[in-house]
Amino acid sequence: MLSRTAEYLYWISRYMERAETTARLLNVGYRMSLFPNPSGYNNEWESVLSAAGAIESYKNKYNTIEQRNVEDYLFFDESNPSSVYNCILNARNNALVVRTSFTPESWLAINKTYQEILNLKDKKFTKSDLPDLTEWTVEQVNLFRGSLSSLLRNDGYNFLFLGLFIERADNSARLLDVKYFVLLPKPQYVGGNIDNMQWSILLRSLSSFRAFRWAYDGNITATKIADFLVLNNNCPRSLSFCIQNIVKHLTNLTCSPEKVGRIYNNLKDLNTKIQEEKIEAIVEYGLHQFVTQFIRKISSVDHEIHKEFFN
Amino acid sequence: MFNEMYQSESVIRNHYNNINDWLDQMTSKVILEKNAEAETHFRNIGITFSTNNETARERIIPFDLIPRIFTYTEWLRLERGVIQRAKALNAFLADIYNQGEIIKANIIPKEIIYKKKSFEPSMFGFSPPRDIYSPIIGIDLVRTGPNDYFVLEDNCRTPSGVSYMLENREIMMRMFPDLFHNNRVTPIDDYPTRLLQTLMSLAPIKCENPEPVCVLLTPGPLNSAYYEHSFLSDQMGIEMVESTDLFVEGKYLYMKTVDGPKRVDVVYRRIDDDFLDPLCFNPQSVIGIPGIMDVYRTGGVNICSAPGAGIADDKAIYIYVPEMIKFYLGEQPILDNVETWNCEKEHELKYVLDNINELVVKEVDGSGGYGMLIGPKSSKSSIDEFKTKLSTNPKGYIAQPLLDLSFSPTLIKNQVEGRRVDLRPFCLIGEQAQLSSGGLTRVAMNEGSFVVNSSQGGGVKDTWVLAE
Repeated sequence: MLSRTAEYLYWISRYMERAETTARLLNVGYRMSLFPNPSGYNNEWESVLSAAGAIESYKNKYNTIEQRNVEDYLFFDESNPSSVYNCILNARNNALVVRTSFTPESWLAINKTYQEILNLKDKKFTKSDLPDLTEWTVEQVNLFRGSLSSLLRNDGYNFLFLGLFIERADNSARLLDVKYFVLLPKPQYVGGNIDNMQWSILLRSLSSFRAFRWAYDGNITATKIADFLVLNNNCPRSLSFCIQNIVKHLTNLTCSPEKVGRIYNNLKDLNTKIQEEKIEAIVEYGLHQFVTQFIRKISSVDHEIHKEFFN
Repeated sequence: MFNEMYQSESVIRNHYNNINDWLDQMTSKVILEKNAEAETHFRNIGITFSTNNETARERIIPFDLIPRIFTYTEWLRLERGVIQRAKALNAFLADIYNQGEIIKANIIPKEIIYKKKSFEPSMFGFSPPRDIYSPIIGIDLVRTGPNDYFVLEDNCRTPSGVSYMLENREIMMRMFPDLFHNNRVTPIDDYPTRLLQTLMSLAPIKCENPEPVCVLLTPGPLNSAYYEHSFLSDQMGIEMVESTDLFVEGKYLYMKTVDGPKRVDVVYRRIDDDFLDPLCFNPQSVIGIPGIMDVYRTGGVNICSAPGAGIADDKAIYIYVPEMIKFYLGEQPILDNVETWNCEKEHELKYVLDNINELVVKEVDGSGGYGMLIGPKSSKSSIDEFKTKLSTNPKGYIAQPLLDLSFSPTLIKNQVEGRRVDLRPFCLIGEQAQLSSGGLTRVAMNEGSFVVNSSQGGGVKDTWVLAE
């Protein structure tokens, strides 16, 4: 496989994953804006922007944080490299180059999405259209992922999934980084509205709201949620699940065992730690610190994948 | 005036009877639906193109639902004629880059060969595998009567359009399966397999691999034929590379893969000579693979088509193709050339200037329907403009009579109307010479128009060759 092909495949699934994350974040922000708080309505847009990694660039463009502008910035804005529009555009342009390396269905899924978002972009939207847009995005990404199931299980497949899980690990960790404080243990369980709402933001952003109830019995607690999102290997967006899959697709690569070995060595400790650690120990160590280190590690693995395989 | 479907106003040619019945049952509603379906399909698969005046959105070529049909016997003659021509063109290339017998025999003057930009001096004295310079040739044909076919031009470099031939068939089979139950249409979907066999049969001398590694070299996604590049490499199961994916080391060409360097034996290049090797051709070029010409000349890799193959489809050389067929093959040409005046010659220029109202004037280096004048269809001012151009730069132009291109029934606003068509079949020459069972039919969608180029409002049709 061409190095360039591998790189493009890796980035296609990163972009598609990012499009979904951004759409989910927008959806959460929208939900929150419908609920009252003591001073009017909830405003989660700032944390949505932070979690999307777009707060600084947004503030360069707009003076105030307003729903309409946030929506536009995160969904359609061509100057925001991570807007849903740009993610789909980039995925499609990469796919155009490597369409020979995946199935016609995968290409169709991406290209149709692109054709549709061009049409969506031309229309005028009202506030209440946002749920349709985010739902559409999630659907399109699912269509793409579904099409991957008929791929040959060769290195191309593994590069696609490496990209997907690197992106997801980074997205999940960033969200935890923005919201880690709601997962810190409280003196006693109060179960107040604020906590419930904050927890629901976290879970919904990671498309795990209902899954959580099925995975844990009894009361919702901060520790259970932290365990679910950090360590639970059944949760497809938890940090441990992502790491596990990064290791899996990395070690499944048949090309250059020495390169694979070098990257794996860098990742090994984090993987072992996350598989064996208890959530209480992490909380005691400092959830925030843990997540920050995790983000740094993922970024260095990404850097190494580029250096070893794509140059 | 020849109509492909109607023998006379009331008589349908036999091989179009089924199509005529089918057309009769189709309501305008169905036609609208099927047109929309085809358009969505082409957009979704991404078979789009860009034109010289680029707009933001990609365009698709209008697709006409009514197929253009050849009988088995009609096709047999075309097949023999095209293969004959393709063989002669390759023989010509082998000759002029070596002994130059045709020049010694005073059939073609040497000035018009050696002074052409498309003549490549670095190819002199080198013979590519099997002496094949141009393994994929697209011949543009027009028809003016039941047995009257003329070759408009030869395309020996990197003819495009074969993906349309294949995709047009796919969409027709998908939308109208019954048509294919009722008509015995020769399949064309083995073209990519045959193309790959052809490329593999042209491995360089130093290749030890029983299954030579072939790649398709593309200029990249901005090229108007990019869809075709990815389509063909996908169908052949070979890598589509850009020049940055390739590099020369020692006496071989390699591509950069995740496993490290991998040797490449045959390059099916879809880029121009100028961009192949900055060391040999255009030193300003940022694309290209430095040193590839060295590897090529020492038998480490084959480049298809060969650098310098373009001289064979030069409009000034075209005039001599019937002579080439006699000279190299000892045969009579099966397909006719269009009578052509070479404005470089003084008396021919005079004739052209005197009769410009009746003639088609083309730029020698033009393509895509740009830079041409159709005398009978042009205003006085554009004729005057061309007269000036001809007088100042006669070398740059040739002229031909305006041929009465055949009409093919075409759906225009839900009505069947006659529109002019041409045909580009694709000939492959490697271990064997073979012709696609069909080709790309282009249709001038505008009433009365003679220009079938997609950049000028042309459309395409599925092209059928009926089985014996």
